Amino acid sequence: MKLSSVQMDAMQELGNIGAAHAATTLSQLLSSTVEMSVPKIMTVDIAQLADHIGDESAALVVFELQGEIPHGGYIIFYISRKSAVHLTNTMLGLTDPDRPLSEMDESALIEVGNIMASAFLDAAAELLGFVMIPSPPALTIDMAHAAMQSLIAQMQEEINEVMLFSTELFCEEHKIDSDIIMMPETSTLKMFVERLDNLMKPI
Amino acid sequence: MSEPISHNKMPVMIGIGEYHVGSVPMMAIGLGSCIGLAIYDRDRRIGAMVHIMLPESSGRTDRPGKYADTAVPLLLNTLSNMGCHKSSLVVKMAGGACMFEYFGNNLNIGERNAEKVRAVLAENQIRISAEEVGGKSGRTVAFYPEDDGKVTVRSADGAAHEI
Repeated sequence: MKLSSVQMDAMQELGNIGAAHAATTLSQLLSSTVEMSVPKIMTVDIAQLADHIGDESAALVVFELQGEIPHGGYIIFYISRKSAVHLTNTMLGLTDPDRPLSEMDESALIEVGNIMASAFLDAAAELLGFVMIPSPPALTIDMAHAAMQSLIAQMQEEINEVMLFSTELFCEEHKIDSDIIMMPETSTLKMFVERLDNLMKPI
Repeated sequence: MSEPISHNKMPVMIGIGEYHVGSVPMMAIGLGSCIGLAIYDRDRRIGAMVHIMLPESSGRTDRPGKYADTAVPLLLNTLSNMGCHKSSLVVKMAGGACMFEYFGNNLNIGERNAEKVRAVLAENQIRISAEEVGGKSGRTVAFYPEDDGKVTVRSADGAAHEI
């Protein structure tokens, strides 16, 4: 679906609020400053997905959007393999940046993803006025493109394009670079836009 | 050996639902539940590769490479139009993983993709000479028609091997 520039601005603001809450929780978790980029809204043709997400190894904590919309799409906490080790090292009090990831790291990553996705969705839901909750998490540490492709293949609606809302969250002190990505179903996106259009109407 | 020559050429990247025919190296990166299907003609030393996402087209015709039931005939017809014969085709496929067991547990799109490819090939009396499908891991697949139709598969840990 095509968004007008006003709708794009509104969606960007939605991403901004969600990501800001996620950044705050990450900052508290790490007791360190976390900065965020301007949220990006990308309409990506599935044939060109590889231009945006490569086959590098990364950790992805994935949640389905649930609540008032039963299968609303996905929210994904994306972190490169390298940053994932930096993150769990900081959380677990370890120092070796080249160690392999263990089960404990996996639990820590899932926990961080959980907290961030919940913060993002809570904030977004408050603005939109409907309940959005994350499903139980699924973690994969594998080729990023393969993970995203698998999610796109199992979306409810048959699509040739996906809309990605992506915000980069980074922590200089601990050299952690991550993204929080929302990939809504078209029907969810329509609902978002409808609600946001209503919010901007004069009384 | 033609190996050094073909490996120096930049591969044609085949995105989801796309396909390519020719003698240049071709590559489909980061296959999860998707399938990379490579068909090589031993006699003509050309080949075709497609990046399939879903098993059934259900009547959609806009992107035939996206669905197993239309992608296989698409490649076969294209190769046939170029004068290739069934008897000289070598077929290899990789992908069809199930990376998220929790989601879409009743779907297992990867497995259904692979099954559909096998079924449509069987209808055309063509057998698969090598496949690496299923499991939980992503794969990047490269196809080198000029190198006797060599197909390599690489996983996230970086190890590439020929199938």
